[in-house]
Amino acid sequence: MSMKNKSIKLIAFFAAVLPLGALAQDGPKMNEAKSPQAIALCIIAALLALAIYVAAKMLVQQAKANLKKIKKSTATKLVSALLFVFLSSSLFAQDAVVTDDAAAGKTEIVKAAIPLSSTSFYVLVSVIGVEIIILISIIGQVKSLMKANEEAPVAENAIAVETTEEQLFSIKKIWGKLNSFKPIQEEADIEMSHDYDGIRELDNRLPPWWLYGFYICIIFAVVYLWRFHVSHTGPSSVQELEIAMHQAEEQRAGFLAKSKNNVDENTVTQLTEASDIDAGKKVFTSMCAACHAADGGGGVGPNLTDDYWLHGGSIKDIFKTITYGWPDKGMKSWKDDYSPLQIQQIASYVMSLHGTKPATPKEPQGDLYKEAGATAADSSAVKDSALKTTTALVK
Amino acid sequence: MLKQKDTIGGITVPDEVQEKLAVERFYYDNKIVKMFAYATILWGAIGMLAGLLAAIQLYLPGANFDTAETTFGRVRPVHTNAVVFAFVGNGIFMGVYYSLQRLCKARMFSDKLSKVHFWGWQLIIVTGAVTLLAGYTTGKEYAELEWPIDILITIVWVIFGINMFGTILKRRESHLYVAIWFYIATWVTVAMLHIVNSFEIPFSAFKSYSWYAGVQDALVQWWYGHNAVAFFLTTPYLGLMYYFLPKAANRPVYSYRLSIIHFWALIFIYIWAGPHHLLYTALPDWAQSLGVVFSVMLIAPSWGGMLNGLFTLRGAWDKVREDPVLKFMVVAVTCYGMATFEGPMLSLKSVNAISHFTDWTIAHVHVGALGWNGFLTFGVLYWIIPKIFNTNLYSKKLANTHFWIGTIGIVLYVVPMYWAGFTQATMWKSFTEEGSLTYQFLETVTNIESMYVLRSIGGTVFLTGVFLMAYNLFKTVKSGSLVANEAAEAAPLSTHQVIAHSDKHWHRWIEKRPVQMLVFSLIAVAIGGILEIVPTFLIKSNVPTIASVKPYTPLELQGRDIYVANGCYTCHSQMIRPFRDEVARYGEYSKAGEFVYDHPFQWGSKRTGPDLARVGGKYPDSWHYNHMMDPRIMSPGSIMPAYAWMLDKQLDTASTGARIRAMQKLGVPYAEGYDKIANQDLMKQANEIKNNLKKDKIETSSTAEIVALIAYLQRLGVDIKKSGDAAPLQ
Repeated sequence: MSMKNKSIKLIAFFAAVLPLGALAQDGPKMNEAKSPQAIALCIIAALLALAIYVAAKMLVQQAKANLKKIKKSTATKLVSALLFVFLSSSLFAQDAVVTDDAAAGKTEIVKAAIPLSSTSFYVLVSVIGVEIIILISIIGQVKSLMKANEEAPVAENAIAVETTEEQLFSIKKIWGKLNSFKPIQEEADIEMSHDYDGIRELDNRLPPWWLYGFYICIIFAVVYLWRFHVSHTGPSSVQELEIAMHQAEEQRAGFLAKSKNNVDENTVTQLTEASDIDAGKKVFTSMCAACHAADGGGGVGPNLTDDYWLHGGSIKDIFKTITYGWPDKGMKSWKDDYSPLQIQQIASYVMSLHGTKPATPKEPQGDLYKEAGATAADSSAVKDSALKTTTALVK
Repeated sequence: MLKQKDTIGGITVPDEVQEKLAVERFYYDNKIVKMFAYATILWGAIGMLAGLLAAIQLYLPGANFDTAETTFGRVRPVHTNAVVFAFVGNGIFMGVYYSLQRLCKARMFSDKLSKVHFWGWQLIIVTGAVTLLAGYTTGKEYAELEWPIDILITIVWVIFGINMFGTILKRRESHLYVAIWFYIATWVTVAMLHIVNSFEIPFSAFKSYSWYAGVQDALVQWWYGHNAVAFFLTTPYLGLMYYFLPKAANRPVYSYRLSIIHFWALIFIYIWAGPHHLLYTALPDWAQSLGVVFSVMLIAPSWGGMLNGLFTLRGAWDKVREDPVLKFMVVAVTCYGMATFEGPMLSLKSVNAISHFTDWTIAHVHVGALGWNGFLTFGVLYWIIPKIFNTNLYSKKLANTHFWIGTIGIVLYVVPMYWAGFTQATMWKSFTEEGSLTYQFLETVTNIESMYVLRSIGGTVFLTGVFLMAYNLFKTVKSGSLVANEAAEAAPLSTHQVIAHSDKHWHRWIEKRPVQMLVFSLIAVAIGGILEIVPTFLIKSNVPTIASVKPYTPLELQGRDIYVANGCYTCHSQMIRPFRDEVARYGEYSKAGEFVYDHPFQWGSKRTGPDLARVGGKYPDSWHYNHMMDPRIMSPGSIMPAYAWMLDKQLDTASTGARIRAMQKLGVPYAEGYDKIANQDLMKQANEIKNNLKKDKIETSSTAEIVALIAYLQRLGVDIKKSGDAAPLQ
């Protein structure tokens, strides 16, 4: 018995000390708490801590039943006390992290998400690991104590009739404990003395896990509001966007730097490889054909096979037109839909259409374009006539 | 039994008092229960058929039949309104009229009011369905019915309230059972939600504009919308559960104190959670956060109801295996538990970023609607009909078959929807290494079309079960005869009540006082609404104004009303969230100040089609013209219905002035007297569009509806693109 108590003490001691260690570790690098990994790990740790707490309470109950002869089960009380300390300290630890972040200032948030350093990661993971071990050992203890408790009365008095399957340890038993179920036979003790159209009511205790779950949700709410609206350590929706855009830009730059996608309207050249032209054609027939017809003869959009161009007919002009669009004329920007290489392929395909004979060509629009002279951007094109006048109608 | 003898009406009465009390004989009104039960079955079948049609339209555009009335945007609101207010509504009244009489030991307050309530509600449903199909809608989800029907709803709801309270006040039972607490809270909260959300300015016999605009309209609407789920689909059904489940199981309710805590916590917390429908929108961040945390705190109170239901079955699980009524109820309560756990998870911003605007929401809703509301209603029907017809259920076997078919139907419905939602969200958010969007919007739709097919199969299976039930109940009715007036006996409430020891619980005080119960419930539900809505209205910084945002032109306003009338918002959002993918796909994220003239707001809740917040100027007029005529010309593979009839239908220009005047009353800054000259401006702009279309070889009448709609679409989101200098456009 004393061995058992010692081990319980030891476990409880570790449980109480470890999270403090984690706090100390986190100390100098408070901003790591912003990392989603850290948050997830902390949540897991907190949940496990709660599970340990519940399990420990069960252990205390069982131990009490078991140690009737020993007057004061100080050891088990100690366990629960220590566990309580552990639990509250781990919660406190989170709070502390949050508050310190506030001091750090929120400008940092806009930087890319902070990765969790490997030391912190391993500390958190080991905390969780230890918690799991504690949980398993406590459950094991509960299990063995339960068995002992059930066997005891059988040995002591043979009158106890309910010795069948129900007495054995089972999930059902744990389930009953978790909900602090009252045996159905004892229902009469907790029955309210009223009935409504034959409906009677019991006054069972609130299921403990439910009640603690409720408390946790409330704590979550307070911490959440604190984090996002008092300490501002959590990013706002718009800051999240800034972070995402920043990251995306870095990734994209990194990728483009070492790929043939690294083209823009100044460096683009016409591609002539059959594979590139085919790739361009594929996109053209699926997307561009809606306005320009599959053979480039035009429809809603201008004819692309003739010599006349609204915004210039060089590879650079076409690349630019596709990339940025001419929104007021109905040509949308495609730079977010297709990569520079794809746009280069599309533009090259469009160039290849020049001089072909479409089925129903649209009348020429724009200026006659000659290959040699690179036309400057047509400034007169920027007319937002339609929209301006419509709004102007409203006084 | 001994105890039964000593208690009358739940109160322990000493012998000497007992002698003085004369036992009264009275009759329960079963006829009204029967009427509501029949209405429940009828509207259930109709509402689900409408849903099935809408589901099929999503993969067979031809099923829209090329007429305005049968097009998805109008069928979908009919489906949601029919299922919520007709099926579940009648289900609530059926259960309340049955249980309230018995829990109060009294006949309904007035048979006449019961009848007026019944027929009034059916009138609302029929006029509602007809007007929605005819295109009269407020454009606010689940509150689509127009102002005359809103008034009718208010009147009928008050009649229901008088009838309910009349019954409660003349009860022969001193205390109110937990089911009645839920009924009272339901009544008062629905009244509050309906009235506040329905503030609107009518400009014609059947059309109005929402009193609120933009962000504020959105907040009020989702405060309403979310709590319509809470107080129309949840609390009254919890009340039904508290009566019918222990009755059917013949077991005592698990925990009285759990009832108390979860009841008050539920109604208090639920009301705050509305903003979780608006995460990452232009709603101020603080309101969004309140929506998040209150949703999370809602888990426990919701689960309190589930636990009290399921634990009541302790010791009765052997019965569950036998009795179809209990089977339905167990699955219903389990679905309730799943949906109320999933809801708070969907309210976490990181999850919501994926789930919102996708079919995930549809799946979530249908776990609740098919599982919780559907199955609980079926369970109650299978229990009530044999009781009031004094007979046995025609076929237990058929009811069991219904149970299994229904369950399979639910699974077949929701699993494809979860799959579709998750897949589509992932595709939306996918970028290539070059940093461009991996998928065009249309590709993400065609990719999940097979899921839409599966979903409609699931729906069909579920509906088949409903028909089986209708047949089974029809046969049951045939085999018995209605006990229209069921005799009962109870002693009247005496002034000389003796309080039993167990009645010393603090909560027993309010259980004897229905009026206080009503007032306290109202206070509990009013707090959250007031604290969220009032600051959003009063504090300027919540909706920063943008100088370049101007009111709609008369033609655009007409176009907007066409957009609303045809339920475009059921598939298209107008809210670009601050995500990398949405900014890349649709443009700059939406700002609160952009919506200040939007009565009603049209942010939408589902993106079956792409967002339209910045569609203005993206395509030429002729693109829109062709696209509306047949979407598949411009986007092959599109599932959007064709709106060819819009090319011919003429605008109602006679009402332009009335529309402008209504907007002026709402504070939209049109110049004084502008209503009289509005049509001149309208024609000018219409002719511009007409000429524009002519350039692309399209001939159209300048007053065709399509012209106004194009004007509206081309205006969407363009104001903000103008710089500060370009602003003075007076």
